[in-house]
Amino acid sequence: MKLADDRVARFARQLLVPAFGELAQLRLQEARVRAVGAGAAASPALVTLVQAGIGRLWLDDPEPVSPADLAGWLFAPGDVGRSRAEAARAALSLLSRFATVEPYPVGGVPTATLVAAPSTAEALIAAEVARRAGAPHVVLEPDADGGSIVSIPPRAPCYACARSTAGGGRPALAAAAALAALGAAELVQMIAAPGAIPGRRIELVRGIASARPTSRLAGCVCGVDPRAGAA
Amino acid sequence: MIPPRARLDLRPFACPLTYVKARIALDRLAPGEVLELWLSAGEPAESVPRSAEEEGHRIVSIEALAGEGEGAFRVLLEKGAPRGEGALP
Repeated sequence: MKLADDRVARFARQLLVPAFGELAQLRLQEARVRAVGAGAAASPALVTLVQAGIGRLWLDDPEPVSPADLAGWLFAPGDVGRSRAEAARAALSLLSRFATVEPYPVGGVPTATLVAAPSTAEALIAAEVARRAGAPHVVLEPDADGGSIVSIPPRAPCYACARSTAGGGRPALAAAAALAALGAAELVQMIAAPGAIPGRRIELVRGIASARPTSRLAGCVCGVDPRAGAA
Repeated sequence: MIPPRARLDLRPFACPLTYVKARIALDRLAPGEVLELWLSAGEPAESVPRSAEEEGHRIVSIEALAGEGEGAFRVLLEKGAPRGEGALP
């Protein structure tokens, strides 16, 4: 399979990144990404995914646009009260003709997941679904003007092992856009170059990012291959 | 000399597409195979071979393209050893 000429032109700058070639761009083109959460904290990540050339983006968010969502990059004042998934779909679809953006279909099988859920419980559920499917996933944990990103490629320590347990959870401020964009970049790399990103946690504090490997809690089920023993 | 495995006329294109297209063509070759490029004089003929060399490929030759005077150049590049496609920095 070859990258079409119009896509080469559209993604030319990205294709100049060292070691990011045609194969990487084709992987992005073929990807089906489920985005759990499409609010203000997720918006910059969604924009980044579409602009990077993700082929299909599924928006999974049952909530309506709230006034707080207007701090993100996607919604206009007139969107307040509309379905977040629909308003985000409309806004994202204008950004690139190479991405198909639609609500998450029942039974859809994503190849990667971005988790920007409004609660830890929902994030844990979404991340576990992705882990069991063997799909790379990234969880955003915005906290005021920073926060953390947990990158979970297949077979890495799961989100239950790697999540933040200390405080946090303050409302995301506009500067948290950096966190979301960084999280999207992690997911793009995991899709474009499988194996290139280890399980890791990136913390963003006052604009400074630092990464460290995640570790598995003793006895966690994520140490067992989810496909092992399947009939 | 090893005959070119593929030829690409990049004269209609400008930066960055000149090098992007050359790089994709190089990715499709095996190490040691040769790519023939036709490049307009000026920035394309200067920067494309230099960028390829920086990424580990070898410039075999650069010469004026027959019938084009000094307006275009024929560049032969030998693909270098792979640097791990997909291993992003």
